[in-house]
Amino acid sequence: MSETISDHQRDVKPIVSSAGTNRRLLITAVALSLSLLVSFLFTRYSAYRTVQENFYGQALVPAKEAFDFNLVDQNGKPFRLSQLRGKAVLFCFGFTHCPNVCPTTLSDLAKVNRSLPEKDRRKVQVLFVSVDPERDQPDVMKKYVPYFDESFIGLTGTEAQIAETAKAYGAFYEIARDSGQDPDNYSVNHSAFTYLITPSGKWKLIYNFDQLGDSKRMIQDIQQVLAES
Amino acid sequence: MRILLLALVSLYLPIEPVLSQSVPVKVERAWIQAVPSVSDATAAYMKITNLSANPLKLTGASSPIATRVEPMITTRKEHSGKEVIGMQSVAELIIPAGNSLELKPGGDHLMVMGLLAHPNEGDSVKLTVRFAPGDQKLDLEIPVFKEEPK
Repeated sequence: MSETISDHQRDVKPIVSSAGTNRRLLITAVALSLSLLVSFLFTRYSAYRTVQENFYGQALVPAKEAFDFNLVDQNGKPFRLSQLRGKAVLFCFGFTHCPNVCPTTLSDLAKVNRSLPEKDRRKVQVLFVSVDPERDQPDVMKKYVPYFDESFIGLTGTEAQIAETAKAYGAFYEIARDSGQDPDNYSVNHSAFTYLITPSGKWKLIYNFDQLGDSKRMIQDIQQVLAES
Repeated sequence: MRILLLALVSLYLPIEPVLSQSVPVKVERAWIQAVPSVSDATAAYMKITNLSANPLKLTGASSPIATRVEPMITTRKEHSGKEVIGMQSVAELIIPAGNSLELKPGGDHLMVMGLLAHPNEGDSVKLTVRFAPGDQKLDLEIPVFKEEPK
């Protein structure tokens, strides 16, 4: 008897249990698909975010408010960085008597600028800031900087203006005189980074001197910055 | 038009490496950076391979377009956590036997100082490179480019 009951119970139970399992299964399935959907969206979103933050240049996270320097352009007119709002700005420090690093930097940037599609090029401005204001007067900058690309702008200023600007961007420079050398003939040791400022005035990326030669990846960064703004 | 341009450019590109008669070296990809008229210095770049069984020293160079041409190294020093690039004149650059010396932008180079004439893209510049031991001279005609030929 007990066996029959037990058998009966065994017969019944599965039916009851099956109905419960179905409901539970349904709930589980819904929960699973919901969590799948959430994780799919999350992965997609984070993948999207990863792509967004995947720059060739070294990214400042979060991007900093770019120091609005106040310098003098190659025509002798005051020039502030904020004049270029709406454009992506690439700028570097250097000096016109520099035979190796600066012409290389400027010719690399000229190649990048020239290789940009016209619609993007209109939204990009390259600046070259002198760390040798004593020799690099505006007229010298005018003969030097546009030589590499006629759209490039050379900036100089007082020693204090240059020092303030360099400090704000963590750039370093020092006059290097060889002993017994003509006092007007000196070199300037300097950090050779290129900085990218977004169209909204945020300092977003830093490039090493050696990175500038890869125009393709430089252009990808610029286009990404333009697309984000 | 593009083909014509390429043909013109290739005229200036030393496609065949220069094998010297006098100095046991092979010179490849030699070029000079074009600079604006306001510049008083530029740099010459090339790859020099020492074909001999003994080390060679590049001790200097001369050119009719400059008052001095000196071997330079590019120094990269840390200064308050930042890399600072500088240049330093050196007496010689050593090329070990069977090895190459790569003079390139951002690296070792020949600094062409006190420019008497301005090298423009498309120009060709005479450069005499000196090697030790002895006073071995190598005469080169080097093309001028605004951007590193790749």
